[in-house]
Amino acid sequence: MNIQSEPEAHGPVYRLLAGVSYGCLVIAGVQLVTLIAIFGWLVWGRYVLNDTPTWVEQLALLLVVWITFLGAAAAVWNKSHLSIDFVREMLPDPLRVPMRWVAVIAVGVFGAFLAWQGWTLAAKTWPRVIPMLGITEGWRAMPMAICGALTVVFSLYHVGELARGDYKITGEL
Amino acid sequence: MGLAVLFGIFGFGLFCGMPVAFALGLAAVGGFFYEGLPLFIGFQRILSGVSVFSLLAIPFFIFAGELMMQGGIANRLVRLAASAVGSLRGGLGVVNVLSSMLFGGISGSAVADTSALGSILIPVMKDKGYDPDYAVNVTVTSSVAGVVIPPSHNMILYAVAAGGMSVSKLFIAGIVPGVLMCLCLAIVAYWVAVRRGYPAETFPGFKALGIATLVALPGLMTAVIIVGGVLSGVMTVTESGAFGAIWAILVTTFVYRELTWPAFKNAVLTSVRTTALVMMLVATASAFSYMLALYRVPELLGNFVTGISDNPIIILLLINLILLVLGMIMDMAALILICTPIFLPVAVSLGMDPIQFGVILMMNLGLGLCTPPVGACLFVGCVVGKVRIEQAVKTIMPFYLAILVALMLVTYVPAFSMTLPGLME
Amino acid sequence: DEWRGWAIHPEDYPNTVAMQSFADKVKEVTEGRIEPTVYANGILGSQPDAIEQVRSGALAWANFNMGPMGEIVPATNVLSLPFIFRDVEQMHHAMDGAVGQQFSDALSEAGIVALSWFDSGSRSFYNTKKAIHSPADMDGLKFRVMNNDLYVQMVDALGGNATPMAYGEVYQSLQTGVIDGAENNYPSFESSNHYEVAKYYSVTNHLIIPECLCVAASVWEGVSDADKAAIKDAAMEAAKQQRELWAARETASLDKVKAAGVEVNNVDDPAAFQSAMAPIYANFIAAHPDLEQLIKDIQATE
Ligand code: NA
Ligand code: NA
Repeated sequence: MNIQSEPEAHGPVYRLLAGVSYGCLVIAGVQLVTLIAIFGWLVWGRYVLNDTPTWVEQLALLLVVWITFLGAAAAVWNKSHLSIDFVREMLPDPLRVPMRWVAVIAVGVFGAFLAWQGWTLAAKTWPRVIPMLGITEGWRAMPMAICGALTVVFSLYHVGELARGDYKITGEL
Repeated sequence: MGLAVLFGIFGFGLFCGMPVAFALGLAAVGGFFYEGLPLFIGFQRILSGVSVFSLLAIPFFIFAGELMMQGGIANRLVRLAASAVGSLRGGLGVVNVLSSMLFGGISGSAVADTSALGSILIPVMKDKGYDPDYAVNVTVTSSVAGVVIPPSHNMILYAVAAGGMSVSKLFIAGIVPGVLMCLCLAIVAYWVAVRRGYPAETFPGFKALGIATLVALPGLMTAVIIVGGVLSGVMTVTESGAFGAIWAILVTTFVYRELTWPAFKNAVLTSVRTTALVMMLVATASAFSYMLALYRVPELLGNFVTGISDNPIIILLLINLILLVLGMIMDMAALILICTPIFLPVAVSLGMDPIQFGVILMMNLGLGLCTPPVGACLFVGCVVGKVRIEQAVKTIMPFYLAILVALMLVTYVPAFSMTLPGLME
Repeated sequence: DEWRGWAIHPEDYPNTVAMQSFADKVKEVTEGRIEPTVYANGILGSQPDAIEQVRSGALAWANFNMGPMGEIVPATNVLSLPFIFRDVEQMHHAMDGAVGQQFSDALSEAGIVALSWFDSGSRSFYNTKKAIHSPADMDGLKFRVMNNDLYVQMVDALGGNATPMAYGEVYQSLQTGVIDGAENNYPSFESSNHYEVAKYYSVTNHLIIPECLCVAASVWEGVSDADKAAIKDAAMEAAKQQRELWAARETASLDKVKAAGVEVNNVDDPAAFQSAMAPIYANFIAAHPDLEQLIKDIQATE
């Protein structure tokens, strides 16, 4: 089911959130390309310049955290996280409907935890510096907070879909 | 009681159709509340679960695989494989197993193997009329070879946890069991293919085979760069993954001229999505694993085993069973570190060599990567193959059996793992 | 009360054995009021994570190396300065005395109560290429170091190419030549199997980093004064045992790597290595003027 193929059927809130989700993917994509480029630079530096760029490993670890959480937020919007929903979908409506509500709300609840604890961790680690990079450790926890906040917002929209009765179980993979 | 909270939330979340990653995370949160532990500890685990150097290979292999698909390398590779062994019934299944043997022998990561080979072979297999579940099953189970066949960073982890053993011997010990496992899988892949009546193409002749080889060569270089980079010692596995991706960009842009800007953008965005799904699981699973470690679940199981029987055959079977169950629900690296100190002494007391036990551990936990509810390879395979987990698992049993047969042979016949290392002395 | 304790090493490692003795002793002297347990093999997380767990009271006690502590307690960075101690014996004297107390004070401000000091030996360079006798021999060689600016500066100052790398990557990287060498103590050199691929171990003793046996401040507050004294005694005893076991383990590891064909050599002129560190000390003191006295106190210790 490709939801994005019929944008005119959706309101401005949908278009805004879909745009935010796509923006997350694009930023993460730029980060992925950066990740590959700095590894190229690492090998070049070690063999050609005989001067290993010591910041690459730490920057790579930071980038992969950003890619993970930005991509995970977009996957919440697209409903493409891996789930086992065949049990639920086999059950009769009186069971299936509340279970869908539970699943959507539970995702939002965990998103709230991600946002809250990501924020806490970022604040906690702010005074610390990532070795070899010289920037604050807070940058590492920040994407978790962003992912959490977006997960809450996206889940709220999905709750709205459930209430209106136009909730689709699977997005595009 | 704490365990009931943990598994209760996890099970209920899964049952309701929650994403696995979020169910694991929410269950861990429940556990932290129940134990009165500061919540930020759990989320710190989630963060540091992702910040692991060896995991960096995952996005690289996923991206290289995407590029090989989008830029026309994969088609040419498969055309080559089809001209070589396509005349065998279900030939692509066997090709899949064999390429896993070679590819996994390079990457050392079963998940990377699944994503790289899966993104190349699964779409082609589907095109050729293979059922998606079969394509995913073959890809996922054969990727376990990557853990067993050297090099394998999981084996280094085991050597460290076991408190000092020869890593080179351990590496060599993995070769025969890895090949044995692939042999069993190839037989099953062939058998299932025959039963389902998958196509066999006609052998196109040696000239056509030669041309297919030449055309595929620049693409094949991607694998050569990855293998050569590691074997020649120019790069680490992670770096060679990055270089494989860079090479793939160059070949598909300048040699095959199929990598357009939209195709490149598509490859990047798809890689990001796949990477994020896998890494999010790794992240929340590490918070979940923290609670399991805190409740000493693996140790309780260790005591349980030795309390049940003193018959070596039965104890080894029990150990294998417990590892299989744990492998279903926990992360491989964490399990190696936790289970080695518990089960290795038991195995050694039965007269087993620590090297043989290491190989058994790799095969067993490797199988756990292919099983629900927590099986990283299975997840990646299903994402790449666009197949629902329940659909893939429905027909995967014969492939599990193939690995189990190999596992039993390696467990009860020491010669499979110990002959090659013995030659070293 | 159960006191959950964190250990990075396996059960049979000197540190873990001593921690278990400590746990047994504490249970005995407090008549079971306090029951410390040991979670070995780092199953509850890496050291930076475990430090946070102790600070928050999620873990009651632990054995921490002072190397990674520098990010949280800046004063402990002094212990990561190359050649800060002359030898292990001097380190014992310093840490068991007034200097150790200064570090305890700094740690307690971060919520960690250091009860006694363990040994982690002294670290030296090993590589796959040649025996190192003088800093000139390190020229252009790629050495893996832990992720800390001080260690990078150290290798660069000696003329090598400092390469920060995850520990788990080191074996394969040595084997395939991605790096030429690394640095560690004998037991780790042996247990990591790096000696299988790196056949030259050159005794520079450039880093002597103590470890603490410590309790979470929030947990420590709730202990009666009598129990505190008894627990402190048990910790001192554990440190004594750990140091003995460590020395034995070092000898055993040294024998094992030598038997495996590793060439172990002393450097010709240790002073040449030490004098190369002058700019690092100057930089460090410029960045942390408040720590200059602590450095002088260490150097003044017999
Ligand atoms: Na491998
Ligand atoms: Na495969």
